[in-house]
Amino acid sequence: MTTQDPRAYRPAPGAGRPLTSAVSPWLRWLGEAVWFVEHAFERARADARPEEDTRVRIFLIRAVFVAIFGALALGAAHAALLAPAGGRGAAHVAGALQRADLTDRNGALLATNITHYGLYIDPAEVWDRDAAFRQIRSALPRISATRLRRVLDGDRRLIAQPGLTPAERQAIHALALGGVSFEPEDRRVYPLNTSAAHLIGSADTGGQGVSGVELAFNDPIRAAGANGEPFALSIDLRVQGVLENELAATASEVGAKGAVGIIADARTGEILGMASYPSYDANRRGQASDDAALNRVTSAHYEMGSVFKSFTIAIALDKGLADLDTPIDASKPYMIGNRRIQDFHATNKILSLEEVYLHSSNIGTSRLAVEMGADSMRSYFSKLGLLDAAPIELRESARPRRPRDWSDSTRASMSFGYGIMITPLQMTAATVALVNGGVYRPLSLRRGGAGAEGHRVISPETSTAMRQLMRANVLRGSGGQANAAGLRVGGKTGSANKLVNGRYDASHGIGSFAAVFPADGPADAQRYVIFVLIDEPSQGSRLGGAIAAPVVGRVADRIAGFLNIQRRDDPPAPVVVP
Amino acid sequence: MIAGSVQRLFNWKIRGIRWIEIIGVVCVAAMVFSVYVAKAAASRESATISQLERQIAENGQRVRLLRAEVARLEQPARLEALSRNAGLAPVNAEREADVVELSTLKPLHLPAPVAPVVPAADAAPAAAAPAAATAPPANAEAVR
Repeated sequence: MTTQDPRAYRPAPGAGRPLTSAVSPWLRWLGEAVWFVEHAFERARADARPEEDTRVRIFLIRAVFVAIFGALALGAAHAALLAPAGGRGAAHVAGALQRADLTDRNGALLATNITHYGLYIDPAEVWDRDAAFRQIRSALPRISATRLRRVLDGDRRLIAQPGLTPAERQAIHALALGGVSFEPEDRRVYPLNTSAAHLIGSADTGGQGVSGVELAFNDPIRAAGANGEPFALSIDLRVQGVLENELAATASEVGAKGAVGIIADARTGEILGMASYPSYDANRRGQASDDAALNRVTSAHYEMGSVFKSFTIAIALDKGLADLDTPIDASKPYMIGNRRIQDFHATNKILSLEEVYLHSSNIGTSRLAVEMGADSMRSYFSKLGLLDAAPIELRESARPRRPRDWSDSTRASMSFGYGIMITPLQMTAATVALVNGGVYRPLSLRRGGAGAEGHRVISPETSTAMRQLMRANVLRGSGGQANAAGLRVGGKTGSANKLVNGRYDASHGIGSFAAVFPADGPADAQRYVIFVLIDEPSQGSRLGGAIAAPVVGRVADRIAGFLNIQRRDDPPAPVVVP
Repeated sequence: MIAGSVQRLFNWKIRGIRWIEIIGVVCVAAMVFSVYVAKAAASRESATISQLERQIAENGQRVRLLRAEVARLEQPARLEALSRNAGLAPVNAEREADVVELSTLKPLHLPAPVAPVVPAADAAPAAAAPAAATAPPANAEAVR
């Protein structure tokens, strides 16, 4: 007799089991309820109405079945009629990167995702391991021999090589080997290779930006990717291409260590082109040297030299210290304490302010800097963004090396671009503010600009005067080689020696040119700023007017068509009637 | 009475089986068959759909690959290198012209000696023109 036998006598729980009641009154209640149900039939027989009890039981069982089947029918109807359609097509690629394609302002592709394949090998299914080893090695030479051997000699399915291109996958597939399979994985691909590599930066295999635009716009790019839209940058690939080609041609011709070129829209602050030489292959980021991978536009510091004279003159004009005809004595070297400041092209006479600019007189600008005082110079430099990292989306934008003090001597140095090291990006942003009517706006890589209001630095009249001075410098001064036909290029040359082992060494120099074109027209006219810097040229002239200005001239000449700039003679000359 | 007739109808049997049960079985069989047909058709359709979706995805990947290839082939650095190898160079600014400048460029290429070749033909319309010009007033006077 087992305890399951219904005939066995079991006392009601609780009667002989104080333990249960001690445990819980709920448990006791449950036990009594089970006992009540268990003995219902006997009670009914005792009451002489067994058939009624049977009917109740049948009804209950029926009700339970009806409820279950009703629920099933409702569930089936819901699944058939109301379930979302096409639910299975959503996740077709397992490792799909949520990153949008990057394009330039006209939709030309800069970065995209291509499905690559991981090569998996299950050694248990490989017939002849040595033959498989040889065949895979010959079809895919870049695979590591030790890794392939280890996977083939292993005991379970392992990845032998990630990131096979579709062509490589086809080559392996065509071997018809057993145990070889592929799994798709998305890879970020930069079809331009070396072009705009610094600007675009890179993203890791997990789909997160690591550098450049990929890092700066990481969230918007992922959001655009989720919507299936491309993400457009402000750069124009045609302009970028011209800039890179001309820069690389000149830099390799003069044997330069590096070179920098930026083109920005003066009205909106959009960057149309940004080139750093030497470049690297964006698809082989890991193999690039640190020197090649450095984005010199945002992260390299230079003592810019004479291009700073534009700022000194602009401050003097804007503060009303001088006008274009004010005479300034440059007849003899200028002494500040024991320091003797002299001119590179000594004129030894009294110059007007315009002549100071055109002859690039260190004496003249030093006198102005000393006269304007420390506070106003610092305030203007601060408003021109020369004392802080250039505001741009790129995280690489570096802080400048600021002067330790603002004494007369330091101010005189800064007036011609020594004693303060800034990035080319800061230089470009400040030049934009000088020529666009006097408003400093953050540069932007977003199509349409950053949308920031900006702040006023100099008056529109000063800005007009600066454009005239820059144009005059190309017509009659040191920037003559930048004069592209009919494009009214204006600009200022800069040539600086670098500090090597504590002293300025004439054999390590930079040549630069900060230009605007067209320089004429009203303050809010269509206008572009080009800044070119050649770092440590080893052959020929090191002067900005001889190496950087020609680059600007050729670039302006070639991009004018893309930017819809009409060639015209300078305003004073009679305008050709069409 | 109505209850009785309904009861009779319910109990009407054909060869010992209630007719209502026969009808029920036939209905169930018809429904089972139709559900089977519908499910079979639906699974055929969904197989086609998933095949098409796979094709779309594959074509989408192929499109991406080809677009990347186009971008690589069309990049400015490569095009410029190819152009320079082919002996091409940027257009000189002096050789550019606007549409509105065409009229100022064209006269240089017009054949100059047209006028001397047909002096007579040129003179005749010239003579006719003043005549025609003077005629209307004459006519007008005549009318008056």
